[in-house]
Amino acid sequence: MPQSQPSFPLRLNINGDEHALLIRPYATLLDVLRDQLHLTGTKRGCDLGTCGCCTVQVEGVAVLSCLTLAAQVAGRQVTTIEGMANGDGLHPVQEAFASCGGSQCGFCTPGFIMAVSAFLESCPDPTDEQVHEALGGNLCRCTGYIKIYEAVHQAAKVLREGGVRQPLDVDHRHLIGELPPATRTDPRTHDLARLQQLHPEGKG
Amino acid sequence: MNLPPFVLHQPLTIDEAVATFAQHPGEADWLAGGTDLLPNYKWRLNAKPHVISLHRVEGLRDLTPTHIGAMVTLRELEGSAELQARLPVIPATARQVASVLLRASGTLGGNLMLENRCFYFNQSEHWRRSWEPCMKAEGDRCHVVPQQELCYATFSSDMAGTLCALDATAQLLGPQAGREVPLQELYLFDGIRRHARTPGELLIGVRLPECAPTWRTGYRKLRLRGSWDFPELGVAISIQIVDGALSRLRIVLNALEQAPRSLDSVTKPYVGGPLSDQAIEELAAASFERARPYRNTSFPPHYRRKMVPVFVRDLLRHLRDS
Repeated sequence: MPQSQPSFPLRLNINGDEHALLIRPYATLLDVLRDQLHLTGTKRGCDLGTCGCCTVQVEGVAVLSCLTLAAQVAGRQVTTIEGMANGDGLHPVQEAFASCGGSQCGFCTPGFIMAVSAFLESCPDPTDEQVHEALGGNLCRCTGYIKIYEAVHQAAKVLREGGVRQPLDVDHRHLIGELPPATRTDPRTHDLARLQQLHPEGKG
Repeated sequence: MNLPPFVLHQPLTIDEAVATFAQHPGEADWLAGGTDLLPNYKWRLNAKPHVISLHRVEGLRDLTPTHIGAMVTLRELEGSAELQARLPVIPATARQVASVLLRASGTLGGNLMLENRCFYFNQSEHWRRSWEPCMKAEGDRCHVVPQQELCYATFSSDMAGTLCALDATAQLLGPQAGREVPLQELYLFDGIRRHARTPGELLIGVRLPECAPTWRTGYRKLRLRGSWDFPELGVAISIQIVDGALSRLRIVLNALEQAPRSLDSVTKPYVGGPLSDQAIEELAAASFERARPYRNTSFPPHYRRKMVPVFVRDLLRHLRDS
């Protein structure tokens, strides 16, 4: 094994905020986002570039954070799913996914949102074929993709018309509550307790 | 799945990169887009203790119809208006590599230097250790063609097939000197050695012939999923017809063996003659005879072999009539 290279300081711009971090040289952007910055909206799926769950945008281009070393995005603008909404107003792509039913279990959704919003910047009025091609790297095992394709076209229409954001028909936010308190509190032996210790922000 | 620990080097110039590699003989890998290397590292496949990133290196991103730098991304290739106008086969081939997301990071150099793939190699550490590992990983035996002499892992680069058909030249720079070598000759029919590169040589780009835009060139790819996948078979053909006769004919079969195979002995008798329907049928049949797929990818070898004449026939007709 190699001699261990010490962690080194790195400045990352995530969602417009500058972060001064100490990172391991072999840390991926996904590792840093989730484990150091606690931006857990970006999901760890296959971790091999196959599923698209970890998609983020670097300078507006959708990339896979599981196959991008954190050191390689120093000084570049990184946008994650947490940077899409504007206060309480969702991004038109988020609105479209919610109103079209483009999200079910939700695990793949952040990756889709990031891929779609980058795609629509370069292709504002896509054909079905272009949408299929653009989303070929994002897997969803729930929706069957039809609702996602509908959401893409709806979002494209809204963005073409100036990005007027429509409020959600149904407010689901009341469904998100506090995580149940861990009944066993030893993080060495209990997954939920360990997760709550790692991610104290993980509450409703 | 964490990456194994390694020392990351981020040189700023080509010379610095080559010099850094030379300081760690046998212990370093080049990192371009990372879409091939990093998954292999996560699976603990031949990970090295030093990784030399090419992201900050200047001078590897030229993109013209006669010269393409190694760090040009596949997305940039598919979106290049100049290539689309003069060599549309290159954007068309790039568009068939992997997915949009992988093409945003994946580079031409990385695709040309892709690690050979095999059912017995591209597996998790746990899977490999559940029985005897293959000679390309931790073992000493090939399970595809059982013996201990040669690795039969398949070379799965789409771009290599097309660029070999276009007579591209690889530009290499080593610690001592630089050199140019026909891309076809860079590849070895050995799944472990893979390239005729001297240790520490860096692929800095490919050069294309000035006359390549006057040729008709195409690429056909067989894959499991249309949205994205490694090729199970790639056929690249480049022809030129002058006064009704073939003045050039190159057929390259890709993703069947350890390296792209140019069927020069098959095509040579047809240069100078017309590309008739009969000639096309004969070339398709001869290509089938020459194809040697191995049983180490998703599709069975007999199916991949049967698709060779289908693609050769289809592509030759398309190029002749276009």
